[in-house]
Amino acid sequence: MKLAGLKSVDGAHEESIWAAAWVPAADHRPAALLLTGALDETVRLWAPDDLASAAASPSRGHALGVVSLAAHPAGALAAAVSLDSYVRVFDVDSGSSVATLEAPPSEVWGIQFHPKGSALAAAGGGSGSVKLWDTEKWKPITSLAVPRPEGARPDKTGSGKFVLSVAWSPDGKLLACGSMDGTIAVYDAVRMKFLHHLEGHHMPVRSMVFSPVDPHVLFTASDDCHIHIYDAKEKSLIGAMSGHASWVLSIDVSPDGMAVATGSSDRTVRLWDINTRASVQTMSNHNDQVWAVAFRPPGGTGVRAGRLASVSDDKSITLYDYS
Amino acid sequence: MASVYIPVQGTEEEVRVALDQLPADASDILDILKAEQAPLHLWLIIAREYFKQGKIDQFRQILEEGSGPEIDEYYADVKYERIAILNALGAFHTFLGKVERAQQKEVHFKEATQCYNRASRIDETEPSTWIGRGQLCVVKHDLQMASDSFKIVLDEDGSNFPALLGQASVYFLMGDSEQQHKKALDYYRNSLDLYKRALRAYTSCPAAVRLGIAFCRYKLGQSDKARQAFQRLDPENIDALVALAIMDLQTNEAGGIRRGMEKMRRAFEIYPYCTLALNHLANHYFFTGQHFVVEQLTETALSSSNHGLLKSHAFYNLARSYHSKGDIETAGRYYMASVNEISKPQDFVLPFFGLGQIQLKFADYKSSLASFEKVLEVHPENCESLKAIGHIYAKSGENDKAIETFKKVTRIDPKDHQAFMELGELLVQSDWATAMEYLKTARNLLKKAGEKIPIELLNGIGLLHFEKGELEMAEQSFKEALGDGFWVSIIDGSVGSSVVNWSIQYRDQSFFQQLEEEGTPLELPWDKVTTLFNYARLFEELHDTVKASLFYRLIIFKYPDYIDTYLRLAAIAKEKNNLQLSIELIGDALKIDDKYPNALSMLGSLELQGDETWLTAKEHFREAKDASEGKDTYSMLQLGNWNYFAANRPEKKAPKFEATHREKAKELYSNVLKQHHGNMFAANGIGILYAEKAQWDIAKELFTQYQNCLRKFFYNTDATILLYLARTHYEAEQWQDCRKTLLRAIHLAPSNYLLRFNKFSASTLQKTKRTVDEVRATVSELQNAIRVFSLLSVASTYHSHGFDERKIETHIEYCKHLLDAAKVHRDAAEQAEQQNKQKMEVARQIALADEARRKAEEQRKAQLERRKQEDELKQVMQQEQHFERVKEQWKTSSNTPGKRKDRSKHEDEEGGGEKRRKKGGRRRKDQKTKAHYGEEEEDEYRDEPEAEDDYANTARSNDGGDSEKAPGHLLAAAGLEDSDAEEDDMGHPQSAIERKRRAWSESEDDEPVQRPVQPSAGENDLSD
Repeated sequence: MKLAGLKSVDGAHEESIWAAAWVPAADHRPAALLLTGALDETVRLWAPDDLASAAASPSRGHALGVVSLAAHPAGALAAAVSLDSYVRVFDVDSGSSVATLEAPPSEVWGIQFHPKGSALAAAGGGSGSVKLWDTEKWKPITSLAVPRPEGARPDKTGSGKFVLSVAWSPDGKLLACGSMDGTIAVYDAVRMKFLHHLEGHHMPVRSMVFSPVDPHVLFTASDDCHIHIYDAKEKSLIGAMSGHASWVLSIDVSPDGMAVATGSSDRTVRLWDINTRASVQTMSNHNDQVWAVAFRPPGGTGVRAGRLASVSDDKSITLYDYS
Repeated sequence: MASVYIPVQGTEEEVRVALDQLPADASDILDILKAEQAPLHLWLIIAREYFKQGKIDQFRQILEEGSGPEIDEYYADVKYERIAILNALGAFHTFLGKVERAQQKEVHFKEATQCYNRASRIDETEPSTWIGRGQLCVVKHDLQMASDSFKIVLDEDGSNFPALLGQASVYFLMGDSEQQHKKALDYYRNSLDLYKRALRAYTSCPAAVRLGIAFCRYKLGQSDKARQAFQRLDPENIDALVALAIMDLQTNEAGGIRRGMEKMRRAFEIYPYCTLALNHLANHYFFTGQHFVVEQLTETALSSSNHGLLKSHAFYNLARSYHSKGDIETAGRYYMASVNEISKPQDFVLPFFGLGQIQLKFADYKSSLASFEKVLEVHPENCESLKAIGHIYAKSGENDKAIETFKKVTRIDPKDHQAFMELGELLVQSDWATAMEYLKTARNLLKKAGEKIPIELLNGIGLLHFEKGELEMAEQSFKEALGDGFWVSIIDGSVGSSVVNWSIQYRDQSFFQQLEEEGTPLELPWDKVTTLFNYARLFEELHDTVKASLFYRLIIFKYPDYIDTYLRLAAIAKEKNNLQLSIELIGDALKIDDKYPNALSMLGSLELQGDETWLTAKEHFREAKDASEGKDTYSMLQLGNWNYFAANRPEKKAPKFEATHREKAKELYSNVLKQHHGNMFAANGIGILYAEKAQWDIAKELFTQYQNCLRKFFYNTDATILLYLARTHYEAEQWQDCRKTLLRAIHLAPSNYLLRFNKFSASTLQKTKRTVDEVRATVSELQNAIRVFSLLSVASTYHSHGFDERKIETHIEYCKHLLDAAKVHRDAAEQAEQQNKQKMEVARQIALADEARRKAEEQRKAQLERRKQEDELKQVMQQEQHFERVKEQWKTSSNTPGKRKDRSKHEDEEGGGEKRRKKGGRRRKDQKTKAHYGEEEEDEYRDEPEAEDDYANTARSNDGGDSEKAPGHLLAAAGLEDSDAEEDDMGHPQSAIERKRRAWSESEDDEPVQRPVQPSAGENDLSD
């Protein structure tokens, strides 16, 4: 497995790019597109492989900067979270607003759509919970609170859980959320019940992803510079990978489930072989923190070619060939 | 058996004395000799006979009687015999002087000299006296005198055999003691000539002559002729045999050595007390490792010889034997004994070397140095000694001298890898490149020689690469040094991946136990531990902490006392924010050494992070500082941090303490900086302190420096620094940069509500609103701000953020006011824009109607107006006055950012309001120099004044410029704080927390606007 740089766009945004997500191919649009969101309060759309701008104009109004993006599996809708705490759901092609969601009393960080697209989960930051909305009427379904682990030490800020990231298992049965203090809460996503905590990290878990081939396996990226591999169902840590020099900010798994890619504050993108649990490649093309990495989902034209995108504080987007 | 006949005086009879039946009491015979006045030569014969029989006392008695004053009287005419007796006695004393020890020696020499003097008085030309004198001088090692004596004889009679022999031996000895080789050879040549003359003079001469010839030839390097000369001697002659043996040994060939040893053995069999042979045999058996034989032989040698040098050799052999057996104490004693037998190191230098080695082992560097220097006196280019001396210098911290010495070695022997290695290690600190060069040379030399490269060398090379950041090269070296072992499977990952579930539990060793039980060999030789540790550090550097921790734990598993590994593991745990584990690991380390400074300071810094333990942290820092005698900058830095931390603790009651802590912290940081100019942490510490004292120029400089460092080392992930930067931007009135920096900080540290708070305070409140778009943006931002603040206030019921809810509420209130005001602004601005257009239209129409010049002027003015409107509102006001016709409309609507107009009005009406404001601003800064609270709080304060100003202004603008009402509004706006401040002035007893809160919420605020002259309540509060 390896990565090969295909195309880089410098100055893709006016400011630091903080979020990226692939919009899957849809019936009306045969190719998957790349969404990026930045501190410049815009969300932009790009078409592979030349990263041509795919929308007439960037969608604006994402006040205070976009921190997270998620695309609906059907490929028509996407959601963007800004620092103003709003989740703005919009039509990818037209850019028109579909819904604006809010999760009082706190802000929203990571978001992800249910693999079937029926719900949207959002990490509720300081509220210490995961918020869920249905995707038809955009009404709140429920709020899953993160319980304190037994005998946990109160951390020094005295705050409870601060939820940063969410991930659905590919079969939709599990939902996990990662917190500032490094613990990961796992929920039964069918019964909407808390199952257990996964321990091992002690620093913020900013990004998580389930393996597409094994719905129990969860990959987590943490500020402690490590990537952990958990069996989320069995509550066990089955692997740890180190190599990044600074925080691991983002993680995504390849569609074949063989590799994960990570983006880090150390300005690199790394590719990891899951079987050997070793770093196989380090890309150093960015010159500032890499805030997001995303593998292109299968489906649409050119499906066979694996694609990985990374975005960075250096305002650039890079597209790689993954093979 | 021979007899002598003593003639009986006055008769023809004779008394027969059988020489083998001499009476035990010499007096008997003396009586006869005296009574019969026997001829003196008979006295001599009898005395000699006693001597031959070993009856020294009788011998002496007869000679002494025979040389007494009576004899001189009776035998006054008998010259020769009297001389002979005296000479015999002299020779006897000479011999005694030779064998006796120090003090006795002198007595005998004196006696001998007296004898010869008396003999000379009888007849000063008698050659045998001169020969005796010569021999005495030889024994006294007064070679020149000896030579002179012999010369006197030889001048008279060139073939006097004893004189020839004496002179020959004198030349030989002169040759031995001559330093210059050439001169020495001349002496040997002279000696050889004399021996030859002696041989010719007396062909049936004793073996000594031939021996002399042989030794001279040997000394002259004519080994074949020497050998022949030796061989011409009796095959049983011990000296010749030993000499031949030595010559055989010196061939340094197996056959030669074997022949040599055979001869030695034969010599030993013929005469078992030949010290030289014994020594050589011992030497031989030393090399064959038969230490018991060595000891026996040398003991015999020691007891059979009084010769210093030979004894020295014997002691040396013994010492060497013990040395090689590892009994260095005994060895040391014998080396010392050996050295004591030697008068000067030139004679026999080897024991000095041995002694030096032993002294080095016992760390007696001074004595050792002296011993090795003795060796160098004889062999100035002896590399081994030079290296030992270099080593001693290095050990005693004299690196320059050590380096010089080792460099000398490399000059003498450019293939001495040891010297290169030592040089490399010595230069590591000072000169990286040269050190590397040396180490590599050492490695190459070893490689060329096909020898195994020592682990330390590879480790050293690896470390140098490591420190230079050449990690791949370092890794290669470490790998090479470690060779094969269990670690290989960790390095290639075949173990690491299967054991992840315990990779988190650094204290759990069950994995290794399990492996051992399964039969996996987990050997870890001691000499590889350091390399393994270094390799682990390398892994850390490569951020492969999983492997690094495995290495550390392997070390702990095998060597549980290796304290640094615990600390590294603790550091990794701390890095991963697993503070509990980290503390436990440090606890393990402290169990091994409870005074270990690094462990103590680490524990301290960990405790500083814990809420309950921060007080004990100080103790640990202090202990660490004490343990390292104040040389540990880290603990000093940490104490500084602690003081800073303590200053910011809300529990600390009196501000006085805060100030003290701050001062103390600053002092400590400065001390650290003094010691290490490049210490960025200390620079940062001082930067923060300056920042809090609002000494912005200095602080900014330090922060810029610090941020550069951060970018280099920490990838810019420190939100606090961003906050400080934001603050700097704020000061520089770069609002946009300030806002963006804050947003970045929030993104980095999402749960830090303080940042959020600052951000909204900053972004909403001091934007200068110029255009309609901006006003609109501001309005929406304000709406956002209100939302966020309400979120915060709700959230704060769940979490403690370190700031006051009331403060938030106040902010929300402000925001709402602002929003209302801003909406008016927006409407006004929109209206203004429209009207502006209309106005322009009107102006244009007027201009069209009027003359062209005026039209142009109007247009120009209009343009000017637009520009000025964009630039400065005050100018807009002036421009307005030109358009009197639209004045009415203008006055109510066109003052786009209304507050500005109001302000100018205010200025018009009150005269110098602006100035006062400025003054107020400056005052705020002044106050800030006394501010004691944290940076974050200050940001907030800094926001507030602006907020109130804005608020006040908008209020005024709402009132249509009725400035009289403004003060009331201002008061209302600042009401909350004010009441607090007043409370404060009254000095109500309050809890520390409340006080702290107040410090949050009140302030140096905006008092200047209200009470421009009086010092604010806040200031009073803070400065007391």
